[in-house]
Amino acid sequence: MFGTQSTRDISFEFQSQIPNWRPSIYTRRANITVKFQDLYGFTVEGNVDDVNVLNEVREKVRQQGRVWWALEANKGANWYLQPQISSISEGIALKSSLKLSALTNTITLKRLIRKGIPPVLRPKVWFSLSGAAKKRSTVPESYYNDLTKAVEGKVTAATRQIDHDLPRTFPGHPWLDTSEGHATLRRVLVGYSFRDSDVGYCQGLNYVAALLLLVMKTEEDAFWMLAVLLENVLVNDCYTNNLSGCHVEQRVFKDLLAKKCPRIAAHLEALEFDVSLVATEWFLCLFSKSLPSETALRVWDVLFNEGAKVLFHVALAIFKMKEEELLLAHQVGDVINILQKTTHHLFDPEELLTVAFDKIGSMTTNTISKQRKKQEPAVMAELDQRLRRLNSLNEDDK
Amino acid sequence: MSRMLLSPFVKFLFLEGVEQNQKGEVVSEKQNKYKHRFPSSSLYLLPHISSIFLCNFSLHPPPSISSSLSGPADIDSMATIGHNNLNAKLVLLGDMGAGKSSLVLRFVKGQFLEFQESTIGAAFFSQTLAVNDATVKFEIWDTAGQERYHSLAPMYYRGAAAAIIVYDITSTESFARAKKWVQELQKQGNPNMVMALAGNKADLEDKRKVTAEEARVYAEENGLFFTETSAKTAVNVNDTFYEIAKRLPRAQPAQNPAGMVLVDRPAESSQAASCCS
Ligand SMILES: Nc1nc2c(ncn2[C@@H]2O[C@H](COP(=O)(O)OP(=O)(O)OP(=O)(O)O)[C@@H](O)[C@H]2O)c(=O)[nH]1
Ligand SMILES: [Mg+2]
Repeated sequence: MFGTQSTRDISFEFQSQIPNWRPSIYTRRANITVKFQDLYGFTVEGNVDDVNVLNEVREKVRQQGRVWWALEANKGANWYLQPQISSISEGIALKSSLKLSALTNTITLKRLIRKGIPPVLRPKVWFSLSGAAKKRSTVPESYYNDLTKAVEGKVTAATRQIDHDLPRTFPGHPWLDTSEGHATLRRVLVGYSFRDSDVGYCQGLNYVAALLLLVMKTEEDAFWMLAVLLENVLVNDCYTNNLSGCHVEQRVFKDLLAKKCPRIAAHLEALEFDVSLVATEWFLCLFSKSLPSETALRVWDVLFNEGAKVLFHVALAIFKMKEEELLLAHQVGDVINILQKTTHHLFDPEELLTVAFDKIGSMTTNTISKQRKKQEPAVMAELDQRLRRLNSLNEDDK
Repeated sequence: MSRMLLSPFVKFLFLEGVEQNQKGEVVSEKQNKYKHRFPSSSLYLLPHISSIFLCNFSLHPPPSISSSLSGPADIDSMATIGHNNLNAKLVLLGDMGAGKSSLVLRFVKGQFLEFQESTIGAAFFSQTLAVNDATVKFEIWDTAGQERYHSLAPMYYRGAAAAIIVYDITSTESFARAKKWVQELQKQGNPNMVMALAGNKADLEDKRKVTAEEARVYAEENGLFFTETSAKTAVNVNDTFYEIAKRLPRAQPAQNPAGMVLVDRPAESSQAASCCS
C-alpha cells in the first residue's frame, strides 16, 4: 500500500461569518460594503442586501437539509444512491415493483436536486450520481495512489504550467492558497495530466479541480470527479488541443440563444457582440469563476445529475434574467457590465435556477446532442482552415 | 446629466488621475455604475468576483468614499464634452504568465498583485485617456495565454484598433511566441492596427534572457512600437497606452475597418445610465 493519500482528508472547516445587521443600519445600507467569508471560505464583498440574501440562502440550505433527512428517515439511508432509472433501462433486470419505486425515486431525486443538495451530503451524492463511483470501481483500489506515486518528480510541459498556475488559482483562499492546498491541487492536476495526455493540463481546470477539492474534501474523490466530468459529463474535447469541444458548445449556445431569447440574440448581433466573448469562460470553468460559490455549486448539483445541458440552461438564464437591461445596452462594454454585475451578485441560487429550468423551457440531452453533431463539421473545418492559414504564415517566413 | 451632481467626484477623479500619471493624461475613468464596488485591496481576495470582467475600475479610491461613488454617474461625458471622443478596441496577446493581466490591472487600477489569477477566455476592461484635444476610450480585451486558447484569439482581435503583444524578458520562449503573434496579426488583423511590443517584467534584470537590443531590432523591422515595461514597478505602463492612443489614426469615418467609431458620448452615456441604474 502506498502512502495514505487516498484517505487523506482535507482539513479545513470554514466558519462563515455573516454579520447580522441591526435595522438602524438599513437606512445607510447602500453605502456600506462588507467583506465576509462564504460557506466555502471565499471572501465575498457586497452590501447589506447581499448579506441578507446570503443569510436567507443559508436558512434555505438548512431547511433543504431537513427535507433530505426526512426522506432518509422515510426511504432509508442512502436511498438516493440506489440505481437510477437510466441505469435500469441499460438492462439491469429488476422486478416491476422495484422499477416503479426506482422511477419515483428518480423523479423525487431530480426535483430534490434542483432544490439543492445539502453541503454535507454533496460529496456522497455527487460521487454516486455523476458516475465517479462506478468509474473508480473499474480499476484497482490503489489506482490513484499508484498514479500519484508514479508521476512524482516527473517534469512535463503540463506540470510546468500547473506549477505556474497553483498560486494563481483563487489566490487568497484560506486553504487553497496554502502550501498544503497547492500540493493537493497539484497532485490532482498532475495526476490527471498523466491519465489523459490529450488533455494534459488546460487552464480553467485549475479552478474546477480547486472547487471540487473544497466540496469533496478528499483529494482522491476530487480526482475521480474531475475524471468523470471530462470523460463522461461534458462534451468531448472541451479542454484538449484546440478546445474544439468548447467551440462546438459555443455554437450550440448561440443557436439556443437565438431560439430561446430571440430579442436578445438579435440585439446583440446588431451590436456585433459575440456571446462567446463572455460565455467561453462560463463553460470552461463551469461558472466557478463567475458565480458566488454556493450558486455555482447548486449548478453543479444539477450538472452531475442531469448532464452538460445544464450549462446551457444556466447560461441562457443569465441572459434571460437581464433581457430588458440588455436590450437597452448600446455598447459592448455595457453588455459586459450587465452580465458581470448579474453573475457576481447571484447570491440567491433559487433566482437563477428558477429561470434556468422554468422559464427557459425544457431541452433534452438528445436534442442538444443532435445540435452538437450538426456543428461539429463546421468547427472542424474552421479550426482546420485556421491551422492551414497559420502554417502558410510560417512558410512565408522562410 | 447634471454637472452639479457629479462635480465632487469629478474633482476627485481628476486629482487621482494626476496622481496616477504625472503627465496627467488619465483624466477620467468610466464610473462603475453599480452599487457594489470592490475596493482595490479586495481584488486579491475575491476569487469569484475577479474573473472575466474586471472593468471600469476607478483609480483606487479610498474605501470610505468608494461606495458613495456609486450611482448612474458617467464621468466620461463630463471630461469629454465638446471634444473628439474615440472608442478604440485594444487586445493584449502573449504567452501564459507574460503579464498581460498585470499590465492591464496596473493601467486601469494602478495595482499590482504578486499572484494574478490566470485568465480563462479573456477579461474585459475599459479606461479613458486624454490625448491632446481628444479622449480615447480603450475597450481592452485581456486574453488567455495558454497555447490551446490560441483558437479563441480571432474573436478578440477582430476589429481591434490596437494590440499590445507582451512577452516576459526572462523567457526566450515567450519572445518567440510574441513573434508568432506579430506575424499572425500582420496577416489576419486590421491593416491599420497600431501594434506595440512590450517586454514585461523589466524589473527582473538579473534574470533577463531577451536583450532589449534584440527586441528593438525586431520591432523596428516589423514597424512596431517597442517598450520594456514592468507591471510591478509601473515603469512604462501608462506611457505605452498613451503612446498607442497618440498613434491611433484620427478622424475615422463612423464605421471603419480599424474598428474605431467616433461616438457622441453624452447621448450614449445617458442611455447607459438609464439602463443600468
Ligand atoms: N516581477 C514581475 N512580475 C510580474 C510582472 N508582471 C506580471 N508579473 C507576475 O507574473 C505572473 C503572471 O502575470 P499575469 O499578469 O497573470 O500574466 P498573464 O499574461 O495575464 O497570464 P495568463 O492569464 O495565464 O495568460 C503574476 O504572478 C504576476 O504577479 C512584472 O512586471 N514584474
Ligand atoms: Mg491573464
